[in-house]
Amino acid sequence: MLDVFIDFMPLFMFLVLAILLFSGYPVAAVLGGIALGFGYLGVYLDVFVPIEFFNIVGRIWSGIADNLVLVAIPMFIFMGTMLEKSGVARDLLYCLQVLLRRVPGGLALSVTVMGTIMAATTGIIGASVVMMTLMALPVMIHRQYSIPLASGTIAASGTLGILIPPSIMLVIMADLLGRSVGNLFVAAVFPGFLLASIYAIYILCITSLKPELAPPLPKDIGPQNTKEFIIMILRGLIPPVLLIVLVLGSIVAGWATPTEASGVGAAGAVLLAVINRRLNFKMMREVVERSALTGAMLFFIFIGATAFSYVFRSLGGDDIVIEFVEGTGFGSWGILFTLMGIVFLLGFFFDWIEITLIVLPVFAPIIELLDFGDHIAKIDLVYWFAILVAVNLQTSFLTPPFGFALFYMKGASPPEVKIQQVYKGIVPFVGLQLIGLTLVMAFPDIAMWLPNKLLN
Amino acid sequence: MKLLLRLDEFVESIIVGIGRVAAWVAILLMTVIVFDVITRRFLVLGSTKLQDLEWHIHAVLFLFCLGYAYLKDAHVRIDLVRERLSDRTKLWIELIGCALFLIPYTVIVIYYGVDWWHRSFIQNEMAESATGLPFRWIIKAALPIGFVLLLISAVGMAFRKLVQLFAPDELKQIVNEREKVETIHLDEVDITEFGRD
Repeated sequence: MLDVFIDFMPLFMFLVLAILLFSGYPVAAVLGGIALGFGYLGVYLDVFVPIEFFNIVGRIWSGIADNLVLVAIPMFIFMGTMLEKSGVARDLLYCLQVLLRRVPGGLALSVTVMGTIMAATTGIIGASVVMMTLMALPVMIHRQYSIPLASGTIAASGTLGILIPPSIMLVIMADLLGRSVGNLFVAAVFPGFLLASIYAIYILCITSLKPELAPPLPKDIGPQNTKEFIIMILRGLIPPVLLIVLVLGSIVAGWATPTEASGVGAAGAVLLAVINRRLNFKMMREVVERSALTGAMLFFIFIGATAFSYVFRSLGGDDIVIEFVEGTGFGSWGILFTLMGIVFLLGFFFDWIEITLIVLPVFAPIIELLDFGDHIAKIDLVYWFAILVAVNLQTSFLTPPFGFALFYMKGASPPEVKIQQVYKGIVPFVGLQLIGLTLVMAFPDIAMWLPNKLLN
Repeated sequence: MKLLLRLDEFVESIIVGIGRVAAWVAILLMTVIVFDVITRRFLVLGSTKLQDLEWHIHAVLFLFCLGYAYLKDAHVRIDLVRERLSDRTKLWIELIGCALFLIPYTVIVIYYGVDWWHRSFIQNEMAESATGLPFRWIIKAALPIGFVLLLISAVGMAFRKLVQLFAPDELKQIVNEREKVETIHLDEVDITEFGRD
């Protein structure tokens, strides 16, 4: 009996974790506490030695602190927060809105473009969805947009940030899977733009068919003469687009490592605030404090997850998972669909931070076992898998009734927006997501063509 | 109860003070990276030292802010069930969480972390690369220090929860109000920022 318990201890770890996470105590501390509890239980049962806690300290240090790749994270967070707080993001939306005024569904399209460009913001799904909602939804309602169309566009575009580089999630995924961040960024470029384009095509089609869903902007809004127009473009549109293109481009072209690009991008964001004459001490203090809190939050989960997965492994967790997967008798595709299903379900309850940090290390040895023959080369497999997980997670965040991007969106909406309207509006976008996911799954080249082209 | 409240306030002022100062090293990190990029691209200087410095700053930035983030309630929680609980149950959960998870965990990391740091110190550990930053043990102290700060915050938080659970009403009132003002939720965005159409 005791032997059986010892064999299945890693599974109990996950079970206890699943239950205790819902207590609402900070995730990072729950992870650390469970690691400790099961570690000592293991000591009591003679399957763990206390000195292994010493190794955990070393692991935390070498994995999280002494790691030049992760230095990019605080800098990308800083850059996103700076762009948001200095009003650059808001000006950009205004510019796009004026530029796209003649296109059907122009405002909805500008929200999509904005989501694509500003993908760098804070990195927490909740924060980016709330920011986009506050900026765009009242304007869209004011312009008599259909509420389902407006809310669907905002939720889908606001979550696009986890996929489009420079996404913090991709940095962490690459680090955990032992692959290059630059390559993963490059692999995410086409899938990200593919999704954004599918949204845009859908918006164009639906608003051309039913113009009453998206009335055009009145004439008296925006610049009234060419001079004002040019100034608006020069100040509101070109600088942020240039900054993002520069940061991304330098990574894609291989000129800079993601860490270098993140630091230069952060400096660029400060520069933009100076140009817009919005830089002052109070704003700067808010940006550094908020970025520090976001970084501490993220790295604390990293620390907790490091302890958790160390104890999990040490108690034989990897073997159980691999045995289980081999025992199912599924082929590589079967396993892939199972993993994707698990990630999708987890996305109903957890943010990508918990999912990637806790689940990805468990999946990693399984991914190594997969073999898709000619469908995708073995060396590309992990990148492709990471992109699939990213698109999958985004879909999960959007799927009613649990998708939590929708709750954040409802929370930040004016009271006349009903949750049913939000649900109704998101359904077509979930469909679009599934099309995107299927395309990337069926044609791995969508992700892998660019990195292979650039690297060879 | 008054004493616990004082201690909590004292802890908060120290931890938040340190966190606020540590937050500014992000600017330093940015400057070092930009300097590194410029000197390497255009002056072709070796930059192992600068790159070491970059992650040294990164380590200080997140480690010294762990406790700060806890007191500001910035650490991620799963709110699904929590939202439906009564205020008193939430207080109990926080207190039990400190006692069973956060405090033991930080104590263990500090216990083994000090030992780990001490080994580095007596060996006078240097960088792996000959051209890296010397005295690796200096930065390694950031890990135990960061966890001591987190431990202090957890103890302060536990005191605060005790006050909120058991103190007379007027004391509870003071603490609740202070907590409300001090909390920063990362998924809340300041609505006034978007006043302009």
